Amino acid sequence: MRSRITYLQHDVSQFNPSQIRVRKDSIELSKLDAAKEHRMTFAFSELPRELWLALKQCHELHVRWVSMTPVQGVGPYVSRMSPGLHVFFSPLSEGTADRLCPLIKKVFGDGMDCVSPQESFISPPILSERFSASSSLQYYHVTPSLKDLVAYLKEKICPRSDEKCIRDAASLLDAKYLDMDYDAISHSLTVTAFWDRACPNSPWTETHLRRESSETIEIGVLNAEKASEPEEQSLGGFLAVLGQDDEPKPTLFSFPSRHHALPSSPIKYRAHFSQPTGLHPTLHLTFSSPPVPPSPITSPDAEPMSHSCALHAYLTLPSQIFLDRYQLSDPLFLSSRNLRSLRSLSGETDLEAPDWVVSRWGSAALIELASPADSRLDHGENKHRQNEWTASIPLHLRYLSPRNVSAASNGGRGSVGEWLAGWKNGANANNTVTTPFPWPPVFWACAADSGDKFAVNPFDRTNLGYDGLFGRQTVFYHIEPEALDGGSFMGLVNIPVMDTEWARWVELGTVWAIALGTVWVCWVIGKVVFQNRNRKQMKGDKKHR
Amino acid sequence: MSFTTIIDAIFASPKAVFGSAIALRAVLLVYGLLQDAYSPVKYTDIDYFVFTDAARFVYQGRSPYLRDTYRYTPLLAWILIPTAWDGWFSFGKVLFALADLLAGYLMVVILSTTYRMPQARALKFASIWLLNPMVATISTRGSSEGLLGVVVTALLYAILQRNVVLAGLLLGFGVHFKIYPFIYTLPFLLWLRSPDGTRRKAKGGSKASLKDQLLRFLNRDCTTLAIFSFVSFMSCNVLMFYIYGFPFLKHSFLHHLTRIDHRHNFSPYNTLLHLNASPAKSTSFHLESLAFVPQILLSAVAIPFALTANDLASTMLAQTFAFVTFNKVCTSQYFLWYINFLPFYLPSSSLLKQTRLGVVAGILWILGQAIWLQQGFQLEFMGQSTFVPGLWMATLVFFFINIWILGIMIRDIGTQSNAQSSPDKKER
Repeated sequence: MRSRITYLQHDVSQFNPSQIRVRKDSIELSKLDAAKEHRMTFAFSELPRELWLALKQCHELHVRWVSMTPVQGVGPYVSRMSPGLHVFFSPLSEGTADRLCPLIKKVFGDGMDCVSPQESFISPPILSERFSASSSLQYYHVTPSLKDLVAYLKEKICPRSDEKCIRDAASLLDAKYLDMDYDAISHSLTVTAFWDRACPNSPWTETHLRRESSETIEIGVLNAEKASEPEEQSLGGFLAVLGQDDEPKPTLFSFPSRHHALPSSPIKYRAHFSQPTGLHPTLHLTFSSPPVPPSPITSPDAEPMSHSCALHAYLTLPSQIFLDRYQLSDPLFLSSRNLRSLRSLSGETDLEAPDWVVSRWGSAALIELASPADSRLDHGENKHRQNEWTASIPLHLRYLSPRNVSAASNGGRGSVGEWLAGWKNGANANNTVTTPFPWPPVFWACAADSGDKFAVNPFDRTNLGYDGLFGRQTVFYHIEPEALDGGSFMGLVNIPVMDTEWARWVELGTVWAIALGTVWVCWVIGKVVFQNRNRKQMKGDKKHR
Repeated sequence: MSFTTIIDAIFASPKAVFGSAIALRAVLLVYGLLQDAYSPVKYTDIDYFVFTDAARFVYQGRSPYLRDTYRYTPLLAWILIPTAWDGWFSFGKVLFALADLLAGYLMVVILSTTYRMPQARALKFASIWLLNPMVATISTRGSSEGLLGVVVTALLYAILQRNVVLAGLLLGFGVHFKIYPFIYTLPFLLWLRSPDGTRRKAKGGSKASLKDQLLRFLNRDCTTLAIFSFVSFMSCNVLMFYIYGFPFLKHSFLHHLTRIDHRHNFSPYNTLLHLNASPAKSTSFHLESLAFVPQILLSAVAIPFALTANDLASTMLAQTFAFVTFNKVCTSQYFLWYINFLPFYLPSSSLLKQTRLGVVAGILWILGQAIWLQQGFQLEFMGQSTFVPGLWMATLVFFFINIWILGIMIRDIGTQSNAQSSPDKKER
């Protein structure tokens, strides 16, 4: 097993090298105010049997779990995704991957509607002809926490006596995201966990121990430096490899990066629904000031890269919620909502299907947003700058299966916390069901000079859903979301449902109404026929006489 | 000149009526173009985008079923191929509007020939269709129901003219296009039983053998109608199936057997369907699968047998009204199916003769929809769960209002003597 533990300090001026103490087989860190990334690489032989049996059925597997609390991006750790569990998967050319779904459910929670890749996963399109590093199948579930994973690790993976293993597993409860990557070529599983700060709000004080000689542990205590090139990032600080180094070695290195924070910009966005949501919720993305394309990092005065940048939102839509691609095809409609185009839509897009006939988890959409830069009203731009800027995405709800909602005790759920408290039963007293909606990440996608260089980045993060929809030569500038709803990056939609308490009444009532109507019409017809016959007979009698 | 004389003057002149009908549609077409060009809220019906997308696929030599939710015969997409040409997008709307006008013209012809109405009176009643803003709006928004209106009115015209070949061809095409016109088969056969379209004076008819009766029933005209409608229906089907294969069958016909129709609509069955189509259904027995029994019994069998001898066009109105009332799905577009028969029924109806009854019926019919719409709005836009009891009750109330109106129609038609053979009774 190889481990790489990176601390990225928030404030380097508070740092003193004595906070790192390297011993022969261990390293001690004290009071580091930093973000932390822990990356572990396992060989096949080091994995439990059920895990590698499932992995052997995959060509590629990328699991991304993201916390509901927005990540505070630092240094190279600025890429964003919707909160929840994302699985990107490419099957082997032959054979079925029947072990994948059972494993995902076992590890991340039983409540998932994962049956098999064929039935539950969607196929994102391949938009860029020149390249696709993206996986062929995609799955998503609104998994609010990693507690099932932690329980699985504690019970199934950690040896009973290994307290450090149990403690490490428990620390995942505070992680902001967790990545797992496997591909059939390298035959190894990489697990990366990220914390944007030590939790609860105390600095990191930790000891890392090398317990076997086969184990490699590399530790870095770094801080972001000013990069000399655009599209690059620089890190400085100290590195140490356990067992090799006696003391931390100073370092300074630069690398090209795929993901960046929006340079020198305080702009944030807020995602919210217009209320009431009804059956056609509108998702608003409100920017604190009109979004402007990023300027190159080195020279903020340079021309904004508007010619090669476009603003996007990537939506992960659970099956209850869907987009109408035809509605998003009219230029007038789009521009009236500050949208430019629906770049990609895949998954469950049937406009007529109710939720209970939809087998896959939902759909994923990439939408290009309009920004003031492409509106021709340039003269008003200064006025724009002080105002908020809102892009509105029209969504629609599927009908949910009727259920017994009267029995649910609690009222409508206003906050995500309340939703979490009762999310298993999901029903409210006012005949609605509360469904979580992961807010979308919003970013500028800009053309880069060359794409292959990004793989050099030791912190490169790919397979995030949206990156596969762009060419390899794309740089992403992420806009930071405003924390909402008690610090959660998840919205809630109340979906009206039919109460089955009424089922008997509806059945009886409808049948009686139809029967009554039919009988009455038949009676009227009968009367008419009878009268006509009488009249005719009378006429006939007259004639006979 | 008083207001009524102006009105009378307009209805005295076909030019004025058709001129207004054309102007009404032209204004709506132009208004629609403007609204579409300058407002994100479109005047054009969503279905029109479905048709034109499908027509574009056909134009490219591909299948119209590549367009989601295209559930019509490919012939519709064929007819609309010009909409795929540059600058011809509105061709279909113009065509639908022209179809409207042609249907209105046929109504005038039928009213003045078969019903022997004076021209002004015929124009007045045809204006129920020609100058109806609902009809003009629906066709200029690009709904294909207007096309069906002309097919069905032409069908009525052909049969009244005893042009049995044309009637057969139109009937077959109508059923291919929208299925429901099959309910007109029985009244046509009944009507064709005697040379002048009236029931033969059955002298000793009750004593005639079954064989004689059957032979009389299957006279030459009936056979012609059966053969030509079958040929036209099947040749459309075979041709479409030959070209587009299974997707044609699936979307044009099988879809109507398997569709769930859970989304709220005016049908009294809607709530039951929503419940029983879902995993929440409590019984394994599907009551709604018997829904066609009262619907077909009344609309295709009982009403034609009881009323055809009295008045064919009004019988078709009652049939269509019953069909829509008892249908498993019902949206406001379905109301257009029977509006084109109103000009033949209303002149002798108690709804016009007893003004108060007519007004009450009209108000109740609109009120029934208003209650439903209010509940629907609460659901769609306010997110209130009004499925039960609100929407369910609203559909039942609307159902009973329709049943009551259907009863009035049947009584009216049943008590009026044969329009075609003795028109002088109706015209004073």
